[in-house]
Amino acid sequence: MRKYGIWAVALFLSAFVGFAAQEITWMSTQFVPIAEAQFVRNELLKPFAEETGIDVKFIGAEYAEFVSRVEAEYEAGKGEIAVLCGLHGDFVSVVDALADLSGVAVGGTISDTLMKLGRMGGKQAYIPLMQATYLMVVNKKALEYLPEGADIWALTYDDLLQWAKNIYEATGMQKLGIPAGPKSLLHRFIHGYLYPSFTGYQVLAFDSGAAVKMWEYMKELWQYVNPAAPTWDAMDTPLLSEEVWIAWDHTARVKQAIVERPDDFIAIPSPAGPAGRGFITVLAGLAIPTTSPDFDAAAKLIEYLTTPEAQVKILQGVGFFPVVAEAAGAVPTGALQILAKGVTAQAGSPDAIVSFIPGGISDEYKKIYKDTFFKFVIRGEPVDVRFLRSQATRLRELYLEADAPYPAPDGG
Amino acid sequence: MPSPSFSLNIGLMEARLRKFLGTDTLLSYWLLLPTLVFIGVFFLMPLFNAIMLAFRADNGAFTLDYFKKMVADVRFIETLKYTFLLAVTIVPLQLITALAMALLVNTGFRGSRFFLYLFALPLGISDLAAGLIWLSIFTQHGFLNSILYSLGIIERPIYFISYQNIGLTFLAVVVAEHWRATAIVLVILVAGLQMISKDYLEAAEVLGARGWRKVWYVVLPMLKPSLQSALIIRTIFALQTFAVVLALAGDIIPVLSGEAYFWHFLYRNSHIASAYAVFLMVISIGMTWFYLRFLRSRMEVIRG
Repeated sequence: MRKYGIWAVALFLSAFVGFAAQEITWMSTQFVPIAEAQFVRNELLKPFAEETGIDVKFIGAEYAEFVSRVEAEYEAGKGEIAVLCGLHGDFVSVVDALADLSGVAVGGTISDTLMKLGRMGGKQAYIPLMQATYLMVVNKKALEYLPEGADIWALTYDDLLQWAKNIYEATGMQKLGIPAGPKSLLHRFIHGYLYPSFTGYQVLAFDSGAAVKMWEYMKELWQYVNPAAPTWDAMDTPLLSEEVWIAWDHTARVKQAIVERPDDFIAIPSPAGPAGRGFITVLAGLAIPTTSPDFDAAAKLIEYLTTPEAQVKILQGVGFFPVVAEAAGAVPTGALQILAKGVTAQAGSPDAIVSFIPGGISDEYKKIYKDTFFKFVIRGEPVDVRFLRSQATRLRELYLEADAPYPAPDGG
Repeated sequence: MPSPSFSLNIGLMEARLRKFLGTDTLLSYWLLLPTLVFIGVFFLMPLFNAIMLAFRADNGAFTLDYFKKMVADVRFIETLKYTFLLAVTIVPLQLITALAMALLVNTGFRGSRFFLYLFALPLGISDLAAGLIWLSIFTQHGFLNSILYSLGIIERPIYFISYQNIGLTFLAVVVAEHWRATAIVLVILVAGLQMISKDYLEAAEVLGARGWRKVWYVVLPMLKPSLQSALIIRTIFALQTFAVVLALAGDIIPVLSGEAYFWHFLYRNSHIASAYAVFLMVISIGMTWFYLRFLRSRMEVIRG
């Protein structure tokens, strides 16, 4: 009986050991692909647990699930989620449920511009964690066909057209690539890059005369785009197989190509149009819900993830770029430095027009931009202003239905 | 005092009731109940809710707006065209191929069993995997282009999968689907062939019909029920082709099931996705009715 008694006591005591280590839950719409989630768990959270004794349970969630979970916990008044990670647009939908992070310490210097983006609903709703953008990656083989007088660090769309034309006339191949597959980020190119560069706005000038000129330009450019583009969801494979020499895509979707052959590629800013150099900044941040069961542990995690070391690790792990000033200098040479050069050049260009991804509205807007592209560019139909107008109406309706502001640069 | 016929009726009713409540029938219903409840809760109710998604707005009001939006979509006509074109092209092709394969396997030559397994092999892989296999063959740097180039037949790779060569893209999808799913029809037809009594075949031989005539006048009519089942099953699945088209042709060839998928997962509007799904369901039911009506076995007609 005494033997069993000792086991019983040991078992009883071990239960308390379990409770002594802190555990918090982190829900995120970022790092969802399995490789990225594994990276977060092994490279970020394990060292964090060793340093602070706080175990972080990482849960990846799609936007719809994220929003419904946060809203449910907010309405219930209590919840399990301690800390959140999401894009700016994700937080716009749940701003009421987020706590004010004004006093939370960060691990490095985050610029005012970025911190200001995290202010919503009269409080510091989220602290920026990482940024991503879309840019162009060029195979060095294409450089010899660059048009006279074109500056690769400040291309215009006209330069791009001439460049692709030069390559076509010299080699007979269409070496320009823009991803146009069903799961590609084509819609980002249209609403965040083309529209602001040609019309100055994402939504407000959808059916303007400048927009018509833009679509005419794209029709012409498409002649020099590889015809397999509508099957591509990402550009790293076509870049590696040299189906394209000039590609546009998200940094994460071209990273693999540069990692495998860093000596063959350079990353440059996206081109500028008549209205400026429009590009998207994708900002992801960390927030703490008001119903968080452990505010302090969550704040510790935020501080840890914004240290320069963690920021460089994130860049190496998933290709999202640092927001912390000290981290920029700490990126080691290699593919990531090549990308970082392009990202910094794009963000620092004098004619920059920063666009934000529309938040809080139905994802149908992606279809509106994509359908217009499909009709005029891929199918090659003549640019029909009436169709543009009806699409513009539908787009504005989406914003009205959701009572959501137009995204930057439209001044929402 | 009640009339004798009245009491006789009561007696009959009582006897019938007692017979019904007798152990066997009632026990059967009780044994079925758990399964019925399970199907009702986990299948019928979600099915009903999914269908209602297409007709009910978020605020609960009944509306046909989602169907109107579906029909007004820029690519709706194209989607419809390709869905039907795909089914109409693939099904007869597969039927003929499967019939030939089934007849061949049924002769029982040495090794016929091996060929049966070989033909049925593609059934074991998912349709997405099949699509990806054929993508690696048809893509710009894929197997087909590499072989043609190394044989000197072409100087530059052919863009099999592109909007400019949409005919070739469609052909690629047909080939991939044909490779993947002919076995479904084959298996049904083989089973049907084996059910044909040898007596008929021997009688046919004795009466002088052999080879092709035997097949046309004796085997095929007897195979009609199997052909009917195979046609119905294959057509419904052909109308729902999804993963192969997606993997091979991406956005170039839109089909109904693909649009339902994108509306739910990409554009996040489950109502319109459900509208597409309901529309597809109605088409499938319609085709089934059509087959059942017009492919009635002649034997039934003679007997009836």
